Amino acid sequence: MAGNEHDHEKTTIEGGPLERWTRGVITEPEKRNRLYRALFYVATGFFLVTTLFPFYWLLVLAVTPNSQILQGDWEISIGVLPFDIPLPTPQEFNVYAFVEVFQEIPFHLYVFNSFVLATVTTIIVLMIASLAGYVFGRLEFPGRGPLMLAVLMISYFPPAAFLIPLFDAFLGNAVVVPFLGIELFEAPRLVNTPGSMIMPFSALFLPLAIFILTTFYAQIPDGLEDAARVEGTTRLGALFRVIMPLSAPGVATAAVLTFIAVYNEYFFSSIMALGNEPHQWSPLVGGILSYQDQYTTEFNLMAAASIVGVIPVVIIVVVAQEKIVSGLTAGALKE
Amino acid sequence: MSTEEQLPGQVTRSERSGPVVTATRWMENLGETGFAYLLLTPVFLLLGTIALYPLLRTFEMSLYQNILAATESEFVGLENYVALFTGGADTALPGTTTFLPGLETSGSFPFVHVEGLLRSALVVTLIFTLVSVFFETIIGFGQALVLDQEFRGRRLVRVAVIIPWAVPIVIQGMMFYLMFNPQTGFLTEYLANLGLVAGTNTFNDPLSSLVIITIADIWKTSAFMALLILAGLQSIDRNLYEVARVAGASRWQQFKLITFPLVLPTLGIAILFRTIDAMRVYGLIDATAGCTTVPSLSCMVVETFNQSRGLASAIAFVTAGLIGIAVSIVIYQQYKEGF
Repeated sequence: MAGNEHDHEKTTIEGGPLERWTRGVITEPEKRNRLYRALFYVATGFFLVTTLFPFYWLLVLAVTPNSQILQGDWEISIGVLPFDIPLPTPQEFNVYAFVEVFQEIPFHLYVFNSFVLATVTTIIVLMIASLAGYVFGRLEFPGRGPLMLAVLMISYFPPAAFLIPLFDAFLGNAVVVPFLGIELFEAPRLVNTPGSMIMPFSALFLPLAIFILTTFYAQIPDGLEDAARVEGTTRLGALFRVIMPLSAPGVATAAVLTFIAVYNEYFFSSIMALGNEPHQWSPLVGGILSYQDQYTTEFNLMAAASIVGVIPVVIIVVVAQEKIVSGLTAGALKE
Repeated sequence: MSTEEQLPGQVTRSERSGPVVTATRWMENLGETGFAYLLLTPVFLLLGTIALYPLLRTFEMSLYQNILAATESEFVGLENYVALFTGGADTALPGTTTFLPGLETSGSFPFVHVEGLLRSALVVTLIFTLVSVFFETIIGFGQALVLDQEFRGRRLVRVAVIIPWAVPIVIQGMMFYLMFNPQTGFLTEYLANLGLVAGTNTFNDPLSSLVIITIADIWKTSAFMALLILAGLQSIDRNLYEVARVAGASRWQQFKLITFPLVLPTLGIAILFRTIDAMRVYGLIDATAGCTTVPSLSCMVVETFNQSRGLASAIAFVTAGLIGIAVSIVIYQQYKEGF
């Protein structure tokens, strides 16, 4: 924003009245404040329009019958302007597309799969990350720093670097100790099952949850844990019955972020379900891609499917925006 | 680690509580270090099998010929890497050797000499990363400055800014596919007239696709940048501004002398995070233009691994190495701060 202000001042230097106005802006604080306020509203408006426009576009496409989409006449004339401007508006109101989305392919099953995968992964991640968060947040032991760094480091590597051996193992091939050639065991065939996705998802999103929970668990005063221990609770008991409930906002934050991350994941979701079929546990990714692959010109259905798929996360964001903000910043900046 | 373990002293003293009590007592008697490592076991198991093992195994497979199981195939040393970097592996890779107009597939890269299709993948990945992170930083900064103000409707604006971040990648891809596909997109014609994208078959044109993918990424992830920068902005001591105002500093001076330098460390971390993340780009490309049109490094791995494990592993390891460079900068930063 500040850069814009600067440009603005520069570009308005030429011209009589403009020059006077510029000088006013520079010398009079009141005029300057008015300029800042105007710039603020312009910037806010710009961000609102740019972030929300793609959703509006999906809505327009979804309710416009496909034949009209293909004609592609999006220009409308606004009385004052001498020319037509390209602003898409719904040309008819065809809500039926939202029904058709579920009829052409079983789209609800894909969304259901996504929900199951996201829920199970979230539970697993919360369990494991709670233990780790307790350890990193409340215990002092040799190797704490390096271990946290190792977790951090692994979480940065690209999924592509993990894909090939995992895919082989999930196909049911033997798991071999690298460089030694010792066969450990034959993995069960996991492709097309939830396991082939839940395991990579858990590993991918575990580190973020660990860092969030470490931050929150570290903030619980030692006295509360000690009190529980005096009453005869074990250390684990204190974690699950005192520390976790007291850190409920942190646990909820980790849960929300993990759920969204799994729901949004693309890489393993698209690869581990081999045929993108709902009975192969293909999640949302498979559903949307089926529309792109099989119904290549049914643009209104693609848009409607996207809207249906995006509604759950929009609801989560609206309800849990505070948690998302605090979680993302805590996970990334560790404050 | 079932919940039963934590309820030893409770009324349910059935027969099976025998071993549970023993286990609990054993755990309680562990020293702090032992207890810590015990609780971390699930983390080690999960990250070990899903991340560390595949990483090492990928490296091993990249040293073997392109047969499925490394135990049966011939050890070829670094041949896969040589083939990648000299263009010898081109026939097995997706994409074309004339990827971007004016871009030679042979020549000296910033650090290494690369020929052939790997070069286009490197170029695509790096261009995408640099351009998208650059604009995300600027837009994210702008969004953060807006959200840092107190005004009515702030929550609403914040939701609007965050929502793109939460949109599933496949839907993000679909949005921009529908927005720029010449059959549906209302803007494609105008952008084509400006020479920004191809007017027909937009998603078969590598350069246009790269432009669109970059825009889509900026749209989605600026929010992430904004949130991190916002956290940095809000940790600045407000008294500093008070002092500056008393001293007669203008808003621009306040920004230049207080806000920017103090938010710079956060900005650095945010940029590194985004850089690492952007270098992994795959889903967005797969959902819009497809991996043969815009071959990023991750794309190359996915497109080749079904035909040749060895080659794909080599690409995967090159990708990991490239990201590893960025990661080690982060790690070094954390280390310096006394992790």
